Amino acid sequence: MKTTLKVLITGTTAAAAIAFAGAASAEKIKIGITQNNVGVDSYQTTYEKAFKAAAAADPNVDVVVLDAGGDVARQIAQIQDLTQQKVQAIIIWPTNGKAVVPAVRKAHEAGIPVVITNSNIAKEGMPYIAAFSGPNNIEQGKEAADMMCKALNNKGDIVQIAGKPGYTTAIEREKGFEDELAKACPEVKIMDTQPGDWNREKSQRVMEDFLVKYPKIDGVYAADDNMGVGALNAAKAAGRAKDIKFIGATNFAVGYEAMAKGEYYGSVYQSPVDDAENALKTAIDVVEGKKVPKMNYFKTPEITQENMKQFTKPVF
Amino acid sequence: MADIRHEIPADRAGRSGPDSGGKHKGGGMAHSGLKSFAGLMARQGILVAFVLFLIAFSVFSDRFLSAENIFSVVRSSAIIGVMALGVTVVVIGGNLDLSVGSMLSFSTVLVVDLHDKIGPGPAIVVTVLATLCLGAINGLLVGVARLNSLIVTLGMLSAIQGLTLIYSGGKNVDIVHQDTTWFKIFGRGYIADIPVPIVIFAICAIVLHVVMAYTPFGRRIYATGGNPTAAVFSGIRRSRVVFATYLISALTVAIAAIVLGSRVMGSQNNVGQGYELQVLAGVILGGTSLLGGSGTIWKSVIGVLILGFIQNGLLLLGFEYYVQWLVTWVVIILAVWLDIAAKRGRLLSPIA
Repeated sequence: MKTTLKVLITGTTAAAAIAFAGAASAEKIKIGITQNNVGVDSYQTTYEKAFKAAAAADPNVDVVVLDAGGDVARQIAQIQDLTQQKVQAIIIWPTNGKAVVPAVRKAHEAGIPVVITNSNIAKEGMPYIAAFSGPNNIEQGKEAADMMCKALNNKGDIVQIAGKPGYTTAIEREKGFEDELAKACPEVKIMDTQPGDWNREKSQRVMEDFLVKYPKIDGVYAADDNMGVGALNAAKAAGRAKDIKFIGATNFAVGYEAMAKGEYYGSVYQSPVDDAENALKTAIDVVEGKKVPKMNYFKTPEITQENMKQFTKPVF
Repeated sequence: MADIRHEIPADRAGRSGPDSGGKHKGGGMAHSGLKSFAGLMARQGILVAFVLFLIAFSVFSDRFLSAENIFSVVRSSAIIGVMALGVTVVVIGGNLDLSVGSMLSFSTVLVVDLHDKIGPGPAIVVTVLATLCLGAINGLLVGVARLNSLIVTLGMLSAIQGLTLIYSGGKNVDIVHQDTTWFKIFGRGYIADIPVPIVIFAICAIVLHVVMAYTPFGRRIYATGGNPTAAVFSGIRRSRVVFATYLISALTVAIAAIVLGSRVMGSQNNVGQGYELQVLAGVILGGTSLLGGSGTIWKSVIGVLILGFIQNGLLLLGFEYYVQWLVTWVVIILAVWLDIAAKRGRLLSPIA
């Protein structure tokens, strides 16, 4: 039997789509997803593609794919629509971890299990969800810290370029990195931390200032590769890239290439494809009554110059 | 109206020499030493503020005034700076341009993406033309259709954001062979030991300064911004002047985009986001009136440099980023206040 897949473009109502999807056979598992903001970056774009591909590959699943376009109000309306239409599970990529809680609670009370994907819901929403599926950002910070210890032989002075202030991902990676670094190699000191706002140009500017301020920098930890490469650019311009070990997170294509050139030490590999497939699988398992860990992380392994051949170059 | 007459001669005086300035300003400014100091402050308040900041920071950080650091700050201010020059022209013409930030995202994404597809030369040409088209839309809507510039350019801000997303599909764009392309000259090159972005910034500033201060066209922009009705009755074609200011603004954005693309060798949708506010802050710090009709190019340069040096100085001193945000705000307020207070000779306005 052919899988029916209905995709909604931002702005159309969920109800119409579900009416279409409803025409599909009834014995399939029907799952609805409302995403954060597709098209705003490569990660989310790839995630959506991978999600649809995974759903199309499974003949027993019917999905309704929605996008909140970054708008909390629209996402809440989409959750309510999906609840009304009695899908068997709702996957949510929260636009805002707090604001969606009441809508999630309503879905929960209506007996529809909710799976949160990629970025977690606020604490008060945790009792109402069946599972969280996504990357473990604290763990990613730890992995980066371990790589840093290894790269510097447990001794040195480093700087940190964090993500955009206020983002959970930024906060968790920073915390994971700092805690693990203090534990694993206390002689590696973080001299300074500044936000790079997930923006390569901003990160390049911050690194230029660091290079002026500190005559000796042994390592840089950037909360994603985009910023890591910005820092690398700055160090190259100052002729100091050779003395510095660069470690990032969320491996980007540019980071992958810089690693291949030997300019970039390592990163954490986080695939939007794994992210999407893990979310769908978690939702299916929940519907089928299988036991799923409440925090269902997918693997985000270390990637370094040595093992990079095992990974395909990221698409973003 | 009074403000326009007051400001333009003062700027002229500032250029030709500090002594002649007080007389042009008229009134009782030049009567005693104190008064002439006040006169100097009134004309160059922002410059004095700038020097004070530099001194303060260099007291606390020995690396602040190193040539390395100064080059580094001016170089990274060049992108915001070049855009601020164009926006200054628009603001003097009596309008606002809030679309420059997302226009910058669009142009950098375009130039970086096309670089690997059609080569650096054609990529630059296409980018400049495409950006000018966006500027022309602004110019038509504000100049010819006479819509409110705040609303038009605010709308363009999100419209261009959408355009960039459609074009890039949300993906990062990168230049693959960063070390071999001649495109790197704009962001990473040097001319006689001076970083090229600084050279470009300086050339743009000089050209626009000459245009604004010494050409009939420049005078028409001041006149249009100062009093559009009077300008029209004096035979100035207002719509053409406004249209031209938006083209100038778009051109500076395109130049900034080329510098940025070459410097970063990659781009993403969020690269220019929020830059319009930094640009405007620089322009306002430079003392350009948001009501139009007064202001100078070179003071916007100082305004942008003040912002750049504050951010750099606070970072060198080891402040947390949230302190930087607060202090930046305080400094903007203080600098603008100093400027205004010096002009009227007292801290608070005599009229309630």
